[in-house]
Amino acid sequence: MSLDPSAQTPKVAHGSTPDVLPGTRRQFLWQAGAGFTGLALTALLDGDGFFSRPAVAAALSAANPLAARPPHRLTKARSCIFLFMFGGPSQLDLFDYKPALQKRDGQTVDNEFRRNTKTKAVLQASRRQFTQHGQSGLWCSDALPHLARQIDKLAFVKSLYSDSFAHGSAVLQMNSGRIIQGHPAIGAWMSYGLGALNQNLPSFVVMLDPRGGPTTGAPNWSSGYMPAVYQGTVLRTAGDPILNLQPPAGSSREMQRNEIDLINKLNQAHAAQRPGFSELQARIASYELAFQLQATAPEALDLSQETPATHELYGLNDKKGDHPLTVGPAPFGRQCLIARRLVERGVRFVQIYSGGGAAGGQNTWDGHHGIEENLQIHAPEIDKPIAALLSDLEQRGLLDETLVVWGGEFGRQPVSETFNTGGKTGGRDHNPKGFTYWLAGGGVKPGVSYGETDELGAEAVVNRRHLRDLHATILHLMGLDHHQLTYFYGGLQNRLTGVLDAEVIRGVLA
Amino acid sequence: MGYGTPGRFPLSAFRFPLFPLISVDLNMRGVIAIVCSQICFAAPALHAQLPLTTSGTNTSVGSAAAPADTSPQLRRGPFAITEADRAWWAFQPVVRPPLPAVRGTPTMQNPIDAFLLAQLQAKGLSFNPPASRRELIRRAYFDLIGLPPSPEAVDAFVADSSARAWERVIDHLLGLPQYGERWARHWLDLVRYAESNGYERDAAKPHAWRYRDYVIRSFNQDKPYDRFVAEQLAGDELPGPFDADAIIATGFYRLHVWDDEPDNSLAAEFDDLDDIMVATSATFLGLTVGCARCHDHKFDPISQADYYQLLAFFRSINPYGLPHTGGGGRGTGRITHPLAPETEVAAWNTRQQGKLEPLRAQLAATTNAETRQKLEAQIKNVEAEPAPFDSALAVQEDPIKPTQILHRGDVHSPGAEVQPGFLSVLSRASRSPAPSARADTSDSVPRRLALARWITRADHPLTARVMANRVWQHHFGRGLVRSPNDFGRTGEVPTHPQLLDYLASELVASGWRLKYLHKLILLSQAYQMSSRTDNPAALRADEANDLFWRQNPRRAEAEVLRDTLLAVAGSLNLAMGGPSVFPSLPKEVHSTQDSAGKGWSDSPPAEQNRRTIYLVVKRALIPPLLDTFDYSTTTVPVGSRSATTVAPQALMLLDDSFVQLQAGRFAARLLREAGVAETNQIRRAFALALQRAPTGEEMAAAREMLAIQHRLASANRGSPPTPEEVWRPFCAAMLNLNELLYID
Repeated sequence: MSLDPSAQTPKVAHGSTPDVLPGTRRQFLWQAGAGFTGLALTALLDGDGFFSRPAVAAALSAANPLAARPPHRLTKARSCIFLFMFGGPSQLDLFDYKPALQKRDGQTVDNEFRRNTKTKAVLQASRRQFTQHGQSGLWCSDALPHLARQIDKLAFVKSLYSDSFAHGSAVLQMNSGRIIQGHPAIGAWMSYGLGALNQNLPSFVVMLDPRGGPTTGAPNWSSGYMPAVYQGTVLRTAGDPILNLQPPAGSSREMQRNEIDLINKLNQAHAAQRPGFSELQARIASYELAFQLQATAPEALDLSQETPATHELYGLNDKKGDHPLTVGPAPFGRQCLIARRLVERGVRFVQIYSGGGAAGGQNTWDGHHGIEENLQIHAPEIDKPIAALLSDLEQRGLLDETLVVWGGEFGRQPVSETFNTGGKTGGRDHNPKGFTYWLAGGGVKPGVSYGETDELGAEAVVNRRHLRDLHATILHLMGLDHHQLTYFYGGLQNRLTGVLDAEVIRGVLA
Repeated sequence: MGYGTPGRFPLSAFRFPLFPLISVDLNMRGVIAIVCSQICFAAPALHAQLPLTTSGTNTSVGSAAAPADTSPQLRRGPFAITEADRAWWAFQPVVRPPLPAVRGTPTMQNPIDAFLLAQLQAKGLSFNPPASRRELIRRAYFDLIGLPPSPEAVDAFVADSSARAWERVIDHLLGLPQYGERWARHWLDLVRYAESNGYERDAAKPHAWRYRDYVIRSFNQDKPYDRFVAEQLAGDELPGPFDADAIIATGFYRLHVWDDEPDNSLAAEFDDLDDIMVATSATFLGLTVGCARCHDHKFDPISQADYYQLLAFFRSINPYGLPHTGGGGRGTGRITHPLAPETEVAAWNTRQQGKLEPLRAQLAATTNAETRQKLEAQIKNVEAEPAPFDSALAVQEDPIKPTQILHRGDVHSPGAEVQPGFLSVLSRASRSPAPSARADTSDSVPRRLALARWITRADHPLTARVMANRVWQHHFGRGLVRSPNDFGRTGEVPTHPQLLDYLASELVASGWRLKYLHKLILLSQAYQMSSRTDNPAALRADEANDLFWRQNPRRAEAEVLRDTLLAVAGSLNLAMGGPSVFPSLPKEVHSTQDSAGKGWSDSPPAEQNRRTIYLVVKRALIPPLLDTFDYSTTTVPVGSRSATTVAPQALMLLDDSFVQLQAGRFAARLLREAGVAETNQIRRAFALALQRAPTGEEMAAAREMLAIQHRLASANRGSPPTPEEVWRPFCAAMLNLNELLYID
C-alpha cells in the first residue's frame, strides 16, 4: 500500500526480456546489497531473518520505486558515465578539425553571435596541431595526447545542435531535454526506467568540479515532477561523501546501533497494532539499510584499495599546472576512478562535471577570454583521467557494460570573440548550432565519426542531429526506448526527448 | 536516416494526423517551435504498434496515475466539440444531490456520512469504529494547524465527555493563526511558490514573501474563496477602495521560473505566459490547458484557439523580463507594484520630481567640476530616498496587446488574431453564456477581471468542485478525484461524484467559506473513523479504501515534520510573517551552486526556529531535510505530493545537524520539565513526542537504551558522561519514531 495516490510504479511494455546476462563480477556485486535509494530484499543484511518476514518482504517489494527493472531491450550497457564539460568545450580545438578554417585565419565573415545578432567577425584558426590517430585515423588535437591514444574506442557525433546560446538553459537542456527548468534529468529517467542495480548506493550519482557546481546548480540533477527518489545524489570525493553519512559528533557506530535498536523496538510495537500498513515496515527497514550503507558507501569510495599503478594511471599523483585557475588532473582523476568503482558496483548513472563555478571565467570550459589559455587549464585536467578510465574499464572487462559519454552544453564559434570580452580577441563564444560529443563502451561502434559541421565548423550540416537524438541514443544504448519511457504528469505522458520525434543515431551503434 | 533533408522536420512527424503537413526551417524557426510547454504525447499515433499508454489495461512505464475506468480517447480529425465532450462529468453543472437513503444509522447527522455509507452498504460494508480520542485530536491538529497537540490539550480532550468537545476542538483550531500557516502551504504548492527565479543566476524575486503572508492571512480571515481567486487573478482590477492585499495577491503571476538569459526573449515571454496558463488552469480549474499550446489538446476538448483565447486575458501583463538579444543577464519588467493608492504614489513622485528637477537644471547649467560632483551626489541621494510605502511582487498591465494563434507554438509563426475567450466546452456548459469578455479591447470590464468573474461564477462547473476536492484530500489523504489538478479525460473520475457535488454546492452556498467546509468534514463520522486496517472483510472487498470504510493514515509532510521537531524540542518560534528565514545549511549543500553561498546569509538562531513555511524558497537550494521528505517541486503546480520511503530519510533524521540540535534541546527540556528522575524524563519524552504514556515494555526498552548509552559514552570519554551525552541520542530516537511521522 502506498500513501501516495499518484505514485507511479514504472512498468515496461515489453518487459519479458530476462534481466540476466552471463555471470560477471559486476553481476555478483549488484546482488550484494539493498537499499540506498529504495528498499529491497537482501540476503547479506538478513542475519536475523528480518527481511524475510512476510510483512517486511511484502512491504519492501511493493514500496521500492528503485527495484531493478528489465530494460525495453537487452543491451550490453548497464551503467552510464557522463563526462560533462561545463562551459562548452571547443570542438574546433579538440576534435573537429577544419582545414579551411586553418587556412582562412583572420578573414572577416558574417556570423551570428547569440540568437538574432548578426555581425561581421574574424575567423580564428585553432592554434592546436591536429593529427590522425590509431587504426581509425580519427582526428584529435595535441590538447589531449593521452585520450588520442584511446581514440579507437570512441564514436564521435560531430553534427549536434541544440536550442540555446545561454549556459543556464543549455545546461538544463543537455541534462533534461528541456530549456525550461523543472524537468527530470536524464539520470532520473534512467533510475525511473531501470531502477537501481545496487540498492546500497544511489542509482544516480553526480560529482562536481572542486571550483563549484554548474550554472543553475541542483535543478540539473533534479527529478523534476517525478518523486525525489529519482534525483541525483551529489557525491563528494573529499570529506563526508554523502550528506549525513557519518554519525553526529560525539557519537559512534555502537551508539548509533543502540539508538536504532530503540527506534526499532518502538516502531515494531507501533506497527504490530497497525497490521496491513506496510509503509511502516518499509520505514523500519530503511533504518537497517541506512545503518548498513554508512559502511558500504565509504567502501565504494575508498581509493586506498586501488594499486599505486592505478593511482598513477589516473593522474592522481600528477602535479597541477602553473595556471592559478587549474586544479590539475588529480581531482577529475579521482572522480573518474570513483566512477569506475561505482559502475563496478552497479550504480546506474554517474555524471562528472569538469569546470565549475560561475560561467564566463576561465574556471569552466567557457573560453570567451582566450581559448588557448582555457585549454591549458582544462585539457590536462581531463586528458589523462579519461584515457585511464577508458583503458581501465576495458582491462577489467567493464567497457562493454559501461556507456561513456563526453561533451558539454554546446560548442564554440570558429570566429574570434569580441562580444563578451570588451574587444579582446583569442576567445570563442558559445555555439549551439554545431558541436561534438563522443560515446564509448557498451553498444557503441568504436572508431567512427558521424556527421559534419560546415567547412568552418560553425554549423552542423551533414547528418545534423538535434540533441534529443543524442538522448534517444543514450537511452537506446541503456536498453530504453525513448518512445516508451514516459512519465504521466500534467495530463501527459512526458518523455525525455520531448514532443518532436527523436531518432536514435544508428551511425554510432555497434 | 529520417533526417534526409537537413533543416526539415523528420518525416515521421507527419504520420501524426493532427500535425499539419508543413516544412519549417529548423535551423532558426523550427528550433523555437519545439519550445512547446508540454512534452505532448504523440506516441500513440506515431507508433501505432505500441499500446496506448493511457488506456485502462496499459502496461507501459509510468501509467499508474492514468485513469482506470475511463480510457481517454485520442482525438482525431479537425477540432470540434461534440455532445460527448460536453457530457464529460466535470463539465456538467454542479447539482446539489438529494441525500441517499441509508440503513440503520440513527446517529448519523452529517450528509457526508450518508453519501459514503450509501456506497459502502451497497458492498455490504460500513464505517470503521471511531478513532481513539488521542488519535482523533492528533489528526485534527496535524490536519488543521500542522503541529502536534500539547500533552495537556490531549488530556483535556480525552477527559472531556461533553457532546460538544469535538466541535470545540475544531473551532479552536480553525481560530488559530497556525491554521493559515498550515493551509497556505497547500496553496503554495499549487502556485509553485518560490522566492527566486531559477536558472543561471537564480536571483531573488523582490517582496515574494508578501504573497506568502497574503495567502496565510487569507486563510486565517476565512476569505471567501471566490474573492481569494479573484484577487490573485485580477486584484489590481477589482473595483473598490485601494486594497494592498489585492495587489499583493497578483504576485501569483510572478512566481514562475524565469530565465534572465534566454536564447530568445520573445519565445521566453511566451514560455512565461504558458507557465501562467498551466498554473491558472491546474490550480483553479483542474485542467491541463498547456497541452493545447502547439496543437489542439489530444484528449480534452480544448482547441489551440481556446488556448490562445485564454492566453489573451494575460497577454497585456507587463512581461517579467525585458526584451533581450546577445549574452549576459537581462533586467526585469515592472514586476513590482507600490502598496499605496495611486494618488499617494503620484504625490510622492511629484514631490521627488520637484526636488530633482532644480538639481538637474543646476547640473545642466554648471561647468564647475566640484559643483557638478556635489550636485550629482545630491541627485543620487534624492533618488535613493525610500518611498513612504512598500512594494509588492505584482502585475502591472500594459496597453492591450493583440494575441495571435502561434502555429505550432512558434512565436515566429503568428496566425489568426484571437480575442479573450473562455474555454469553448465550458462556455455552453455553464448554462448562461459567458460574459462579454469575448468583446474587443474597448470592453469595459478589464480582461483579467472578466476571467476572474467567469472562474468564480457560482455555477462554474469546475471551480468549486476542484477546491472542495482539495479540502477533502487534505483531510482524507486523497481527493474524491484522485488527480486534484486534472479533472479532464486524462485525470481520474471521482469515486464519490455525488459527495463531491454536495461539498461543492455547500462551499458555494456558504459564501465560499473554507472554514465552513473544514468543519462540515471534520464533524462527519467518516472523518472521525479509525484508520486501522484490522477488518479482514473490508480489506478483502476494498483494500485500496476507495469507498472510505476507514480513514487513511498519512505521513507528515516535510514542513510538518520539521515544525514538529521544533515543537517537541520546545524551540518552536511562532512569530508570523515577514521576510524569509535563511536556515544554516552544511557547506557541502552550498557548494552545489556555481557560486557557493550566493544570495544566502544565515538568519539569527531564534529566527531559524520559526515554522518551515517562513524558510526561504530558493529554487537552486532546497534544504536537504525538506527535499528528502518529498518537498514540493517549486516549478510546476503540485496537487498532491509523493510520499517516498528511502534510506536517506533515515540518515537525515539520525545524523543531520538540525535534528541533532533539536534532540539536544529536547533533552534539556526533559531535564527542565521532569527533573532528574529517569522514568519521569522518559514519561515526559513520550508525552511531548507522542502525547501518551509509555507502556511497560517501552519504558523498559528506553531504560535499557539509556543504560547502554551511558556505558558507551563513559567508555568513550573515560569519565562519567554529561546528561546531554546520554539523553540526546535517546531524544533523537524519539524524534525518529514512526508514531511521530505518521498520523493515524
